[in-house]
Amino acid sequence: MALTIKEQLSSPGGILKFLIKHNTIFIFILLVIFSALISDVFFTSVNLSNLLKQVSGIGIISIGMLIVILTGGIDLSVGSMVALLAVTFAILVNTVVLPLAILLTILIGFGLGSVAGYLVAFQKMAPFIATLALMTVARGLGFIYSKGSPITFKTAGGEFMSNFANNSILGIPNIAIVFFIIVILAMVMLRYNVFGRLIIAMGSNEEASRLSGIKVNKYKFLVYAISGSLAAIAAIVVASRTNLGSPNMGMAWELDAIAAVVIGGASLNGGKGTALNTLMGVLILGLIGNILNLLNVPSYPQQVVKGAIIIFAVLLQRFESK
Amino acid sequence: MQNLESEYRVEMTGISKSFGVVSVLDNVNLKIKHGEIHALLGENGAGKSTLVKILSGVHQKDAGQVVLNGKEINPKNTHDGQVLGISVVYQELSLVNDLSVAENIYLHKLGASKFWMNWKEITNDAQQLINSLGFEIDASAIVRDLSIVQKQVVEIAKALSEDTKVLVLDEPTTVFDPTDAQKLFDNLLRLKKEGMSIIYISHHLEEIFKIADSITVLKDGVDTGSMPVSEIDTDGVIRLMIGRELKDLYPTRTSKIGDDPIFEVKNLTAKDTLVHNVSFTVKPGEVLGIAGLGGSGRTETAKLIFGADKKKSGTLLLNGKEIKTNSPADAVGFQIGFVSEDRKEEGVFLPLSIRKNISVTSFSSIAGKLGFISVDKEYANVLSLIEKLNIKTPSSEVNVKNLSGGNQQKVALAKWLSIDSKVILIDEPTRGVDVGAKVEIYNLINEVAQKGVGVIVISSDMPEIMGISDRILVMHEGTIYGELPKEKFSEENILRYSIGKPLK
Repeated sequence: MALTIKEQLSSPGGILKFLIKHNTIFIFILLVIFSALISDVFFTSVNLSNLLKQVSGIGIISIGMLIVILTGGIDLSVGSMVALLAVTFAILVNTVVLPLAILLTILIGFGLGSVAGYLVAFQKMAPFIATLALMTVARGLGFIYSKGSPITFKTAGGEFMSNFANNSILGIPNIAIVFFIIVILAMVMLRYNVFGRLIIAMGSNEEASRLSGIKVNKYKFLVYAISGSLAAIAAIVVASRTNLGSPNMGMAWELDAIAAVVIGGASLNGGKGTALNTLMGVLILGLIGNILNLLNVPSYPQQVVKGAIIIFAVLLQRFESK
Repeated sequence: MQNLESEYRVEMTGISKSFGVVSVLDNVNLKIKHGEIHALLGENGAGKSTLVKILSGVHQKDAGQVVLNGKEINPKNTHDGQVLGISVVYQELSLVNDLSVAENIYLHKLGASKFWMNWKEITNDAQQLINSLGFEIDASAIVRDLSIVQKQVVEIAKALSEDTKVLVLDEPTTVFDPTDAQKLFDNLLRLKKEGMSIIYISHHLEEIFKIADSITVLKDGVDTGSMPVSEIDTDGVIRLMIGRELKDLYPTRTSKIGDDPIFEVKNLTAKDTLVHNVSFTVKPGEVLGIAGLGGSGRTETAKLIFGADKKKSGTLLLNGKEIKTNSPADAVGFQIGFVSEDRKEEGVFLPLSIRKNISVTSFSSIAGKLGFISVDKEYANVLSLIEKLNIKTPSSEVNVKNLSGGNQQKVALAKWLSIDSKVILIDEPTRGVDVGAKVEIYNLINEVAQKGVGVIVISSDMPEIMGISDRILVMHEGTIYGELPKEKFSEENILRYSIGKPLK
């Protein structure tokens, strides 16, 4: 049986080991304390709710990214997919009834993800290449369908979505609730469902998985389709928040998603990573942006700090695996 | 006194080497004269390759002395070996696929002498070298586009591209047809006349008697003798290669063997490997051994049955009904299990826990309809297997990479024991496993058979395969050459069949 937290702490060097093992959670807590100390505005409900709203979109695609990365793959197309699917959703909201618009957008996301899945699983294309190609295709299609400019919601359905996306329950923004539900679903699937076990097995040793009778291709295909579906949900969330779908949305989000997954301790070789840690990765990236904004740091230095945090987090993990 | 030429060019005396606790070579002697072809013989795992790798600098000896031209040498790596004039053509090819033939042949010299490469000169030199060997290969061709035979020739040319004094060839003719092999022999005889010392490793005894001047036989890391070829015959060599007592390692076979076969293979032929026309049957409760030399197609046959390699033709019958195994998933669906010989790459998930390793094949019994795993059932299953197989670990959550080889192998086996298999294929059940764990694995195989499972065991370890099998099939060049019933089990008989000779 796994050691209890108490046992871990009381073993020699236990506290340090415990800290290193759960480093993402501690980095997160340290950042929260630090933020609260240097800014009076940080712990206001307006700021916290803004922070959650900001990270939810990237957060949702990060979960898809995690699932793909667990198999040893990568999905570079998700940022552009968010743009294409946000435009798609805006067009659909203005033409069909809302439930159908939501359903169709998610199905299209599933379909686009399936293309990547097909290329990787059945055509044995390198995930990096297949999704890189889809990334430019999706971005291009987004501009074509929107004719280059944002499409605003014009119907009652659009208004409903916009209200939903900007309201809160008990102080928690609705869209953050959507994000948290997805995180919890992913946690449950990865921990207690066969699906999670199999993709982790595949990521840690693909040939052994195949020789254990796992239908490796089927699951490879599925993870990209799921990633596409989650990109669709992220697209609906961000479009509803701003009341429009724009082909410029989701710019470089795939990189933020990869960064969040990596800060969360996942291995790009596959087989290692959890949904809770990815959530921490998303929040850490969001927090850094938030606190630097509060301190009026311009966006370019922000990028430098973000990069430094990624390097720091990965170095810490190497320490952990020793 | 360097000018005082010794009779021998290479003298390896008292060489010992162990990897961890496994002793591979024990006080081995090997002496090779100038202008001599010296055959090095022995079963799989007898230590031939290790001995050669000590000579060339890949491995370092634990004890003993290597003398070249009367001077003691201590090559620390293959480069040292090359500088001394020792070149080795290994069994596994070591060419760079994306470079040309000429670049491969002179790879060791690239960047060594001058800053600018004279490609024309290099290509011309390489072409001349290949032509002198009597093969037709374009020196500017990319290695990837060559046939396996051509690649082997390039490998040999590469070894000869330097000022080679001692040439070692490890099973060079496995891919050659008789004409190509003859060309190689002509070359070797020519090189010998020019004064080169050649160490020739081969399982093909007829080749040895054709070209070698003398032989040294290794048996379990000990040399059982050296002599001129003229003083020995095939039977004598075989006697030197075997001749060890069976130890008390093997369980008494107690399982009742059924009458009707549980599993039948008919005329199985592979699409991409050398396996062809393989036919056999296994009865419930029977342990069927498959022996043969490395490269005879044993592993490939198992992978073909399991659906991991592609079939060209052939039929599989399970309990008399035809089944199709186009993928491992199909085979698992028919309750066929497969334990790979390559434990780390294909058998276990090193970074995952014992629990996750064992459960990977048993979700149908521990998970519900929607795929949610019952934690209680999973732990019950895993813990009972850990106990039953005596896997030595503090808990089921230990990662498999932290276990010893023997315990890792038990985890690989446990995966298939946790489901009700009808047929289990086990490739090298005890490779890299200590003696204690070996006995436990043998008992386990015995127990599995008792449950009425058809067990197929592939092994290079002759005492092992004779100790645990009810019947042995011997493979030679991709097909089954002969079958041995229990009363005909002997290392000599297995060896005779595996080199394609009839029994005496």
